[in-house]
Amino acid sequence: MNYLFLQVLTGLQISALYMLIALGLTLIFGTLGVVNFAHGALFMLGAYFAVVISDAFGFSVALVSVPILLFIVGIILERGLIRFFYERSHTDQILVTFGLAIVIGEVLKTIYGANNLPFAKPSWGSGIVKLHEYLPFLEGFVAYPKWRLILVVVSFSTVAALFLLLQFTRFGLIVRAGMRDSQMLAFLGVNITRRFTIVFGIGAVIAAIAGLFGGPITQVEPELGMKLLIPSFLVVVVGGMGSLPGAVLASLLFGMALSFTAKYAEIQQIIIYLLAVVILLVRPRGLMGKKGLME
Amino acid sequence: MEYVVSILKKFPLTVFALVILTMPFWFPWIGGYGGLATKIMIWALFALGFDILLGFTGYLSFGHAIFFGVSAYATGLMFKHFSDEIIPAMIVAVIVGTLASVIIGYLTLKKSGIYFSILTLAFGEMLHSSALSTFGGFTGGENGLTLPDMIPSMLGIEMRGEVMFYMTAAVLILGYYIARRISDSPFGLILKAIKSNQERLEYTGIDVQKYKLGAFVISAIYASVAGSLMVVYEPYVGTEYLRWSTSGNLVLMSVMGGVGTLIGPIIGAAFMLYFENVLSVPLGEEWLLVLGLIFMAIVIFLPGGFTDGFKLIYKKLIGKKPDGEEK
Amino acid sequence: MSKESISDVMLDCYQVSKNFGGLQALNDVNLKVKHNTIHSLIGPNGAGKSTLLNVITGMITPTHGSVVFDDKPMLDLSPHEINQLGLAKVFQTPAIFPEMTLIKNVCIPALASRDGAFKLNMFQKEGMRSIESFAEETLEEVGLKDSVHKEARFLSRGDKRRLELAICLAHRPKMLLLDEPTAGMARHETENTILLLRKIADRGMTMVIVEHDMNVVFALSETISVLAQGTIIAEGTPNEVKGNPKVIEAYLGEEQE
Repeated sequence: MNYLFLQVLTGLQISALYMLIALGLTLIFGTLGVVNFAHGALFMLGAYFAVVISDAFGFSVALVSVPILLFIVGIILERGLIRFFYERSHTDQILVTFGLAIVIGEVLKTIYGANNLPFAKPSWGSGIVKLHEYLPFLEGFVAYPKWRLILVVVSFSTVAALFLLLQFTRFGLIVRAGMRDSQMLAFLGVNITRRFTIVFGIGAVIAAIAGLFGGPITQVEPELGMKLLIPSFLVVVVGGMGSLPGAVLASLLFGMALSFTAKYAEIQQIIIYLLAVVILLVRPRGLMGKKGLME
Repeated sequence: MEYVVSILKKFPLTVFALVILTMPFWFPWIGGYGGLATKIMIWALFALGFDILLGFTGYLSFGHAIFFGVSAYATGLMFKHFSDEIIPAMIVAVIVGTLASVIIGYLTLKKSGIYFSILTLAFGEMLHSSALSTFGGFTGGENGLTLPDMIPSMLGIEMRGEVMFYMTAAVLILGYYIARRISDSPFGLILKAIKSNQERLEYTGIDVQKYKLGAFVISAIYASVAGSLMVVYEPYVGTEYLRWSTSGNLVLMSVMGGVGTLIGPIIGAAFMLYFENVLSVPLGEEWLLVLGLIFMAIVIFLPGGFTDGFKLIYKKLIGKKPDGEEK
Repeated sequence: MSKESISDVMLDCYQVSKNFGGLQALNDVNLKVKHNTIHSLIGPNGAGKSTLLNVITGMITPTHGSVVFDDKPMLDLSPHEINQLGLAKVFQTPAIFPEMTLIKNVCIPALASRDGAFKLNMFQKEGMRSIESFAEETLEEVGLKDSVHKEARFLSRGDKRRLELAICLAHRPKMLLLDEPTAGMARHETENTILLLRKIADRGMTMVIVEHDMNVVFALSETISVLAQGTIIAEGTPNEVKGNPKVIEAYLGEEQE
């Protein structure tokens, strides 16, 4: 029982980070139709900002300022670069965001070097939680790092917040309609471009949250972006391109798979790729992909 | 000026071969050195094959390091366990790379371009991480496959220095000749039509899937030959050969040079390696940042790459307007 | 329909139905197109004309029913297989290869006709000459002889349609499907298109045309089928259809909305 519980918890914790990155990716793809190869770099930027700001002013300042900073970065990128690529081919979109990812990575490397920056957790987030004190079905002594539990909570709260935003606000209604047919909305006189900018900003904010809470458990180094981008892309594809529930489902699946194969390093290294290949062979559209999109 | 261009147009292969074969004489003038010339040949071959996929069909693979790397490992293992003769090693390596491309191409080419880019990237990382851990016993894991004191040879002739350069140059010239023939063939015409309008092509009675797979496998064969030559040139298989960054570099050089032109990616490969090894001395650590910025500028302002830039400059020089209606 | 010999019918759609979610786009449609005729499909917007065309070309799989072309069942075939059987489609918005010259645009279907759906002819150059001259002839036939070496994207909209027609003809199809061939054309262009289609038909081509412009329909068709709300409500010669009260009702019903 203890073993099973801990494996599930670890699975949740692994999926939490994938989920946050994949959520931004799939939101931007579903709405703007852009495959953003620089999304990993945005997450990495969030992690670097978080380290630097929390070192200088403390984590609580970083908690407020990093999402705002990344929102601004996102807006600038969308207005200054991405929007010129809506009319160009998907290949060009991939190329320019790939170039952007390299530039962001290299800028960070130039300023902070190629090595790992230590990310000190705030005092309220370090240490362990004695789970057996709260959960009577666990036997004996069961502890778990507090920060990882916080990451899980933050991640699922972010998912919930995004769903609420998309389901129950006028903004969300327009964005969801835009995901289906942006031309029609433009025709009806809805200013879809400004909303697109904001969507890109929201994607960047989610990346910032991932950087803030994921940074302390990953290595904050210039390769981090690409390292997490690749599995997150797989999450998006397996979930079904442009499907938010699909991304959540697929990241849970990957997290559990990684957690339950932890004992066998040889399998763990390739398990998500194997899963992805099998799932896509059986369901080429992904778990919750919509018909028509990407076909 | 016009005279030079007319010669280029009439005898592209001869001019190409001359430029390549005289490289040992002129390359040192601009700061190059022998080993770098060989390395440029190898990457040029890699990029040339990639152009048959990206340039003709428009399918952007982020996993071409797979074929380069798998073939490099196969070559290294052949050297280690069989003999230092390069012919059997290269044959086995190309067969392995080709088989990998048939399987991966079949699995990834079914859907649109975006899907293809992401899945090839994922396949690449799967093989990279399995080479590091799952198959670490064969591949040397994190250290790469080391082949101490090995000098590969062909029919007893040691493959190093100028011999290696001329052998590689000959392969590149042959590769360029074949690529040009493919480009002018009916097969090449249909590949280019995939990029232009895939749906129309399907409704014109063409089995697009098979043509895409054909282009993918041909480009993977080029990549396999290049990967194998890399190990012949430098008897060591680095884990980065399989890594996404190798695929990424390939994409960078192809796009900078100008895709779809065959010569463009070769120029791009030469530029990038020259940049990395010669210009990086004055630029220092930031050379990759500069390269990234150049790349972005090209994607944004000059999607045809250097070759398109040359054409524009040439048209300006002889006083014609840039590409109008008439070809 | 009375008794017809099977060989007389080129395309036979039998009890074709298609459901999109809850929407019944096609309901039990029977359509027989005879050899060497021009057969038009008309009907108010949303009647299911495009859906039917897409079922015939393999873009959509019907919920049930069958499609037989030239005595061969066509369901479950992919678009290129259907095309190889001799059925070519002219799209509503011209589908061409914009970055290529006209001659190359037309060489591609000529190659598909000669070599089949796939051939790894990477080095073969011989035979290209005859393909090219055939392509030139085809372009001449549709009236694009003067711009064979122009890139297709620089053509006018009307010329793009002619080019697409040439692409379809170069495959030497047995039947042409045309989706609104005169949509967006000026008066004189429409007339030219009518003459061109007549000329092609007179050489023994079977055609199915979906069209809104009744002048075109009545100028060309031997048979007209009227679709409304997913079913065929009338079928016959132009004159039979003209006076049919059901047809008038279907169209008036649309106007009242």
